Amino acid sequence: MKRFADALFQTAYLSLVTLFVAFSVIPVVVAVVLSFDARGFVGPFPPTQFSLRWYDRFLADSYYHDGLVTSLVLATSATFIATVVGALAAIGLHHATFRGKGLIQAALLSPLVIPNVVLGFGVLIFASRLGILDGMTRLMMGHVLITFPYVMRTTAASLVGIRASYYEAALSLGAKPLGALWQVTLPLARTGIIAGAVFGFVTSFDDVGVSLFLTDAFTFTLPVAILAQMRANLDLTIAALSVMFIVATVLIIVILDRVAGLDAITGRGVYGR
Amino acid sequence: MRRPSLSTALLWPALLVMVPLLLGPLLLLAHESLKPFVGGRIGGDESGALTLQNYAQIADPQYVRYFLDTFRVGLLATAFALVLGFPVAHFIVRRAGPTMRRLMVGGLVGTLFLSIIVRVYAIAMTFGPHGPLSDFSRLFGISASSPDGAELMVVLGLLNSTLPLVALTLIGTLQNINPRLEDAALSLGAPRWKTFFQITVAMSLPGILSAAIIAYAFCISNLVVPMLVGRGFIVFVSNLIYFRFSEVANFPSGAALSMVMMVISVALFYGLLSLVRSHWQEAGK
Repeated sequence: MKRFADALFQTAYLSLVTLFVAFSVIPVVVAVVLSFDARGFVGPFPPTQFSLRWYDRFLADSYYHDGLVTSLVLATSATFIATVVGALAAIGLHHATFRGKGLIQAALLSPLVIPNVVLGFGVLIFASRLGILDGMTRLMMGHVLITFPYVMRTTAASLVGIRASYYEAALSLGAKPLGALWQVTLPLARTGIIAGAVFGFVTSFDDVGVSLFLTDAFTFTLPVAILAQMRANLDLTIAALSVMFIVATVLIIVILDRVAGLDAITGRGVYGR
Repeated sequence: MRRPSLSTALLWPALLVMVPLLLGPLLLLAHESLKPFVGGRIGGDESGALTLQNYAQIADPQYVRYFLDTFRVGLLATAFALVLGFPVAHFIVRRAGPTMRRLMVGGLVGTLFLSIIVRVYAIAMTFGPHGPLSDFSRLFGISASSPDGAELMVVLGLLNSTLPLVALTLIGTLQNINPRLEDAALSLGAPRWKTFFQITVAMSLPGILSAAIIAYAFCISNLVVPMLVGRGFIVFVSNLIYFRFSEVANFPSGAALSMVMMVISVALFYGLLSLVRSHWQEAGK
């Protein structure tokens, strides 16, 4: 009886794991296969003939090209600002001893919890009240707001294990506060800052909720461009685009693993092997 | 001797950038939500007296339905994510070798990083009318073209994001549970399923609840998934807020909906999460 129950449990356990993997992998494979479909319409799967026509169409489309350029410029600059400001804030809070520290931290992290649509709508009204009508400036405001908490959170997490005594030891050995910060704390927080910057960049690059409110007719991000195209017609250009996204994501993961290690995200745990 | 001056100096840039960016929009939204709406113009009436009518409107059954849809579908996606995500996190922490672990964690983070539009598009192509898994909805006795079919697609779309969120959170939980406790139960003769539920699951409860809250907060604020695969049958509150902005330009109503949604999300997240933490910290003493 015990053996039967255990076998049943084992089967259920492994099927759930398999189901999970299948559900994560199959749609990606389908999108990749469809991007090479030679037919001019969305037909039954699998395609009968293959071509690169959707890639040609995607590369020739200036609409996507403009969106990609805007997204790259926006994500890079928003992440840069958020990383500098956010990493400093996390280090400052780590050393801070004043009361109300927890409240400031919660307030600075709150954009993670407030729905993006609410932030986008709010920034739109705020910008128009300030007389800012330029799309890029508005987008930058919204994107700094949503990328900042990622950098601050991961930097703070990487500092948890670092004792303040390292910094104090540097001070007592004669280092100036800024020098100790630059040569002791910052290198120790490095992986956290890098992981946070990567998370921030990806968040900004993929954002829809905030950007939909802040784009104008001339400045739109790539996801907004894709959404507009998807509602117009569901052709396979988007499948070709998806493959570009998948390739870029794999590259980011490999780089993240090399530079910070994927364990920076999950940690190793107390009983880590 | 600590230097409070330096730590505050490091905080200043963040406060200067983030406080206006956070408070400005939220205060203006709160103000906007109290303005009377006049048709035909963008933004509320500046001269009119402040009113609560935009909030009263939300209590209308017609509006409440959107909230209930949002909460119900979010709950479904969260429940499925827990059932599938827990075994996977357990597998990664306890059974996978180093290479397998790296591959699976990489896959989870990659899924989270991949543009949500791309993921929902891939799911629509896979489970849609021409997709290889188009018969999937029949397993549940649902016709793909019915409102229930749309709901199933929204659940699948949300699940694609909540699964990695839940699994990654639970990996953190499970690797802090001593594996020897499970070994002890097994060597004392407990069956595997009993060990799994009464030791592993029971000890992970705080982590499971945290993961559920994170996943649920993600679901109920989602915009893209219902927009792309809800086909108008499933409309979330986020979509409603966007309609208020893009289609009818009723800013006061959109602002009132935003305020309600924000209060719900913040209360859910900080309230429930701190409740979970304090409860288990006390129990641990």
